[in-house]
Formats: sequence, C-alpha cells, structure tokens
Amino acid sequence: MVKMLVPYPENCTGCRFCEMACSIYHEGVVNHADARLQVHRRNVKIDFPSVCTHCTACGKECCMLHCPVEAIKKKDGVVYVDQDECTACGACVEVCPFGVMRMEEKAFKCDLCGGDPTCVKFCPMKAIVYEEPKREKHDQVKKLLEEEG
Amino acid sequence: MKGYTGKILKIDLTTGKSSTRTFDESHVRKYLGGQGFAVELVYHGVPKGTDAFDAKNVLAMAGGAFDGFPIGTGGKVAWAAKSPATNTLAESIMGGSIGPELKHAGYDALEVVGKADAPSYIFIEDERVEVNDASDLWGKDTREVPEMLKKRHGWDVKVACIGVAGEKLSKIACIDCDDRQAGRAGLGAVMGSKNLKAIVIRGTNDLTVHDPKKLLALALQYQKIYEAAGSWVEDTKYGTGEFLGWINKDRGVFPTRNWQESVFNEREKIDPYYWATRYVTKNKACFACTKPCGKLFEVKEGKFKGVAIDGIEYETLYSLGGTCGNSDVESVARANELCDLLGMDTISAGVTVGFAMELFQRGIVTEEEAGVNLAWSNASDAVPQMIELMGNRKGFGDILADGVKVAAQKIRKGSERYAIHTKGMEPPAYDVRGMKGHGLSFMTSTRGACHLRAGFYAPELVGKFWKWEGIDRFSAVGKGPMVATMENFMCVYDSVGLCKFSRGFYLIAKLPEVLEAITGLKFTEDELLKIGERIHNMKGNFNAREGVTRKDWLLPPRILEDPIPEGVAKGHKISVEEMNLMLDDYMKARNWTSDGVPTPEKLKELGID
Repeated sequence: MVKMLVPYPENCTGCRFCEMACSIYHEGVVNHADARLQVHRRNVKIDFPSVCTHCTACGKECCMLHCPVEAIKKKDGVVYVDQDECTACGACVEVCPFGVMRMEEKAFKCDLCGGDPTCVKFCPMKAIVYEEPKREKHDQVKKLLEEEG
Repeated sequence: MKGYTGKILKIDLTTGKSSTRTFDESHVRKYLGGQGFAVELVYHGVPKGTDAFDAKNVLAMAGGAFDGFPIGTGGKVAWAAKSPATNTLAESIMGGSIGPELKHAGYDALEVVGKADAPSYIFIEDERVEVNDASDLWGKDTREVPEMLKKRHGWDVKVACIGVAGEKLSKIACIDCDDRQAGRAGLGAVMGSKNLKAIVIRGTNDLTVHDPKKLLALALQYQKIYEAAGSWVEDTKYGTGEFLGWINKDRGVFPTRNWQESVFNEREKIDPYYWATRYVTKNKACFACTKPCGKLFEVKEGKFKGVAIDGIEYETLYSLGGTCGNSDVESVARANELCDLLGMDTISAGVTVGFAMELFQRGIVTEEEAGVNLAWSNASDAVPQMIELMGNRKGFGDILADGVKVAAQKIRKGSERYAIHTKGMEPPAYDVRGMKGHGLSFMTSTRGACHLRAGFYAPELVGKFWKWEGIDRFSAVGKGPMVATMENFMCVYDSVGLCKFSRGFYLIAKLPEVLEAITGLKFTEDELLKIGERIHNMKGNFNAREGVTRKDWLLPPRILEDPIPEGVAKGHKISVEEMNLMLDDYMKARNWTSDGVPTPEKLKELGID
C-alpha cells in the first residue's frame, strides 16, 4: 500500500510551520499560497491541516476527473500534473475539495516530496502523519472545510 | 538583503492617508527588526510630553527578523507606543500571526498615528490600504470581531483587535490576535484612543530567503533539539505553569493574597499537574511554534460551563489565582476568558483584583462600595465578577480599570501601601523578596514591573544561566551588570522574534547562523548584543525625557518592608540599602547617571540621536 499524508485535526496546534517548510522546500521562498497544504485556524477550538489525498478520499470532486485535457495523472499512487499538457484552465483548482490544488503559470500540487514529506518532518505534534490512507480522517477535514463555506 | 521587505507602512488615522518609506541594511544593523523597529518608530515619532492618549502618540507593530520563516518559536511580533499606564516607551510582544502577515503584505513595520473621528478598522491587502468604518464592531468582544471581519474579508485574513476595555481606555487593556495577547502596559487603550478597533491584513507576496536549504536544515536541527529537551515534554503536557508546585514548595516565591504571603497552600487544583488531564482538550501554539505551551482549556459542566480558552498560563494562575486567593481553577479559567474577551491584561487585571481584596480584608473597601463580596473566601465568584465590572467600567470596576496605581490614588485611605507596582505596572508571578536581582529588573524594566525585560527569574531560580554559575538569589551583590546584560539579551530576542522560552537553546551565539541563512547578513554575537543595548538605551532615554527617572523606579513598600512570612524564602525582603546598591551598580554598568539617565557619551557610542 502506498503511504499518504493523513491529517489529524485533533493534534494540530495551528502553528502553520508545515506550510512554511513546504513552500521553502519546493519554491525557495515563503508564500503560504505556494504551500501544497493549508492550515486553518478558525477559532480557539478549531485548527486543522488540509492535505492532498492523492485521489484516495476526493470521490467525485477529483481533479483527475475534472481536468478537460487529462493532464492530471497518477503514477505509483501519486497524483501529479503533467506540466506539458496543463492548459492552466483552473478546473482542478475549482473542484479540489481540500483547497490544495495550486495555480500559477500551470497547476501544481503535493508530490509527497518524493516519499519523504517535508510537512511531516516538521510536525512534532503528529497532526500530519505519513501512513496508510485513512478515509475517515480526510472526511473529517472535508466536513470542517464545508463549515467554512 | 533577503528576508526583509525593506518597507515601513505609515497610516495617519486623522487624514485616512497612508504612505510607505524604505530602509536599507544600515537600519537593520542598528535595530534588527521586531522590537527594535517598533521602538525606533515610537522613539523618533512621539514628540516630548505627548499624552499617551493624544493623537500624536505612535502605535507601532513589527514582526521580528525570523517572523514569517520556519524557525521554531520564531513568530513573535512586537507592538510599541507610549504607555498610558507608565508614561514610558513600552513594548508588548505577542505570538500572533499578524506580524508575518504584515511582511507578506510587503511591510516590515506598521506605524499608526493620528486619531479617527469615528470607530474604524484598518484593512491592508498588499498595496491596498483602507481605513474602514467599524461602528458595527464597536462594543464587540475579541472573538466576535475577528469572526465578523473574516466573514467580510475571507477566512484567511489575520485580525488584531481590542475589546471593550480598550475602547473604554482602560490603562490595562491589551491587543488580541488569535487568542494571544500583547498584554502589558495598556497598548490596547492606545488603540482605543485612536478609535481603532482592529487591524486586518492579508498578504500575498513571497518572503525571500538567502539560503533556503540551510534554513530548512537549521530549522530541523533546532526542532530535534527542542524535542529532545525535557521542557518540550513539560510544556506540551502542562503548559507554562508546569513549575508552579516547585516555585511554591522549593523556592517559596509565589505571590499570594496580594503579596501578603509567598506560598499558596491551597494551590493543588490550580497546578497544571491537576488540571491538564481533566480540562485540556488540545494543544495550541503561536504562529511558527513547534514547542507548544498553549492549551485549549474547556469547562464542560458546573457554573462556569462553556468556558474555552487558550491557557491557563503560569502568570495567570498567579494573577487570577494565587494573588486573589482563588483556588478554583474553573473560576480562574472564566476570569481569564473574560479578560481575553473584554481585552484586559490578565496579570494587571488579576493583581488589581487581589489589591481590592486586600483593601476589603482591611476594611478600606466595603461590599457596599465594591458591589461584590471581595472576601478571600468568596474568590471563586468575586474574581470573575470584578473582572467583568472592570472591563466594562461599571461600578467599582471603573475605579479598578486603570490598575492599582490609579485605583489607590482614587481610593486613598492608605490604600497606596498595598498597591504593588513599579512605574505604574503590576508585577508578574515572582516574589522578588526572594530573588533580589529579579527585583532590580522590576525597577529597571522600561515598561514597569516585568519578568521578561531581563528574564532574570531563570538565572536566580536555577542558579545558573548562559555564562554565569553559582548565582545566589538572596544576594544583592553583583546583580546590576548581570541584569543590564540580560536586558540587552532580551531586546535581541524580541527583535529577531524568537520566543523567550527558547532562549536556553539558542542563547545569542546560535542566532547569527539563522540570521545569515534568512538574510545573508553576517552578525557577531557582540554586534547583536550591541543592538540590544541600543534598543534598551533608546527606551531609557525616552523615559528620562518624559521625566521618568530613578525616583519613579523604586520598589513598593511591601517588598522593602514586609519580610516573606513563611516557606523556604521566609524572612527575606529587599532592604532600601540593597535596592540602592543594586541600582547604583546597574547605573554604572549602563554608564547612565545615578538618576537613571543615559549619558551623552553612551548615547553617542550607540549612535542614538
């Protein structure tokens, strides 16, 4: 089984360290919009990370299904955007239920850092764990996101 | 110069206009960031003799040099203004996300001047800067305000705001962001005096990094150091109050019942070792903190059902607990929540209630006057009730709403004898009669009684820190130069934006490599301490200019006259001779006059104009 990022909202402190580390690792600058994941700090009671599920928990709201040019592909369990084929139409950003599909000149997304995810390394609270997919944890995050509208 | 935006945003609330100015490397080499930037804006921006509530007062805010970058615990933001409580240049540091967001918007510092003619809030989105109507926000609490503003501007904006106490110019009002506070010295009232309810920021720009790979490697290295430390486990499980039992039993310096005692014998249930497992439902952290001491404390039943706070911090366990004789942790949590919602500093608010309770004990204030039964035995109800009155300036709460110094001036009848403060600010949770150098730091702190301008409790309680060993907490000898050095040290911390709970990991020697990875600029340890010295001297010179000199620094009578009555520190006090010895040593170490005025030579050496 391919390991995935699994969010544990109950462990998240809302520090957003993972976002910064992700952005620096991939882009060499800090920009929360470059991070391939998001931390939501809603109020004193609720903080949670939103991560890419690599097609394991998105159901019909799947970026692969909605890409009109089939530029989003899956290899060895990892969903990626073929940069040569992406037309930057934004359909994937629109549909992503976790808000983690990004767009600049082309769409880009979490690649699990090639199997050693930076966000996991920098989360001492185990709010993001690299392990076998757990659908119920992603569903928990999806519900939290829906509450935010 | 990477890591900095190189820009300062100035907003004049009187005209509604904003402007930006740029700075170069020389500004960084002088002031570094965070507290240094904020202090510089107030120092050069506030004319002599300006009242803290005058439109000419400057409210400054700046993220530290590490702010916005992945360095664990490095997300602190500094606020500064002339304080209405102390009439000194006061800064207050918070762990809110507003500092990093300001940088993403393109500014290292924000300078707010003037006064809006009606309730307003500032909205910043990169180059777009607006002063908007806040009439619907006025009167709302510090959780309602961000909720309303996030509905309007999107969930990802960052909001700093004041509560009702700030609107009503309470001199102990704080500024709130993410349930974290810039608590001390009444800066919330400065915001209120400008009719400024909130600052809302969304920043979308990149923060550039000199050496991204090195920075990530350093971040991981320090992460491992934190996680291996005992304090990581303790902070994560119990929060900052972890050592409450030890401070009482082994050190005997936990001020109790308005400093009449120094051991709180009824402390069992306010000790985190009791409450953490029963009430804490989640860990909370400041921005960029991977060493979280914040706790989501929830009360699920009983008369305080529904309370949910990020706390309870050590200082608050003292101020709303021990020094009010309050052993009911649920009541402490409720009072803490009220302080947060109404926007009052928990330390000053709690110490002020404890002061009123002693006046009640002595018959100086009656239940009829107070409107609340202020008996120690009624603390569980009395403390939250009085806090609510204070935050809303109702009844006797109006008299207490400006802290103990002002309250004593209004109440009179000898109440001044029981008002514990220096320079008009209420003290934190360390009975300095049993830690004399820390007592000196209460006096020399530029913003009044404070544990974090020098952090001298750590060296004295543990007996060693940094380059010192064998420190005798009961001795006044040699403390002057040490306190001066620690003040410089702490100014550096507040300028890079690191949490002071990390100071034992980095000291000063480790900071240059992090600064270089972010900015590309090289600093030596001595250069950083010189910057710290410059910042402290600017504050000292500002205060002397405002007429706040040695005569205003002195310790309150209780610390000088009443020995600690019981516990391991029994019999200790700071005598007038010891106080003067420490002050004289300190002035010499600083090259200040014996009155506490920086000398022209010192100012010239540090390039302060």
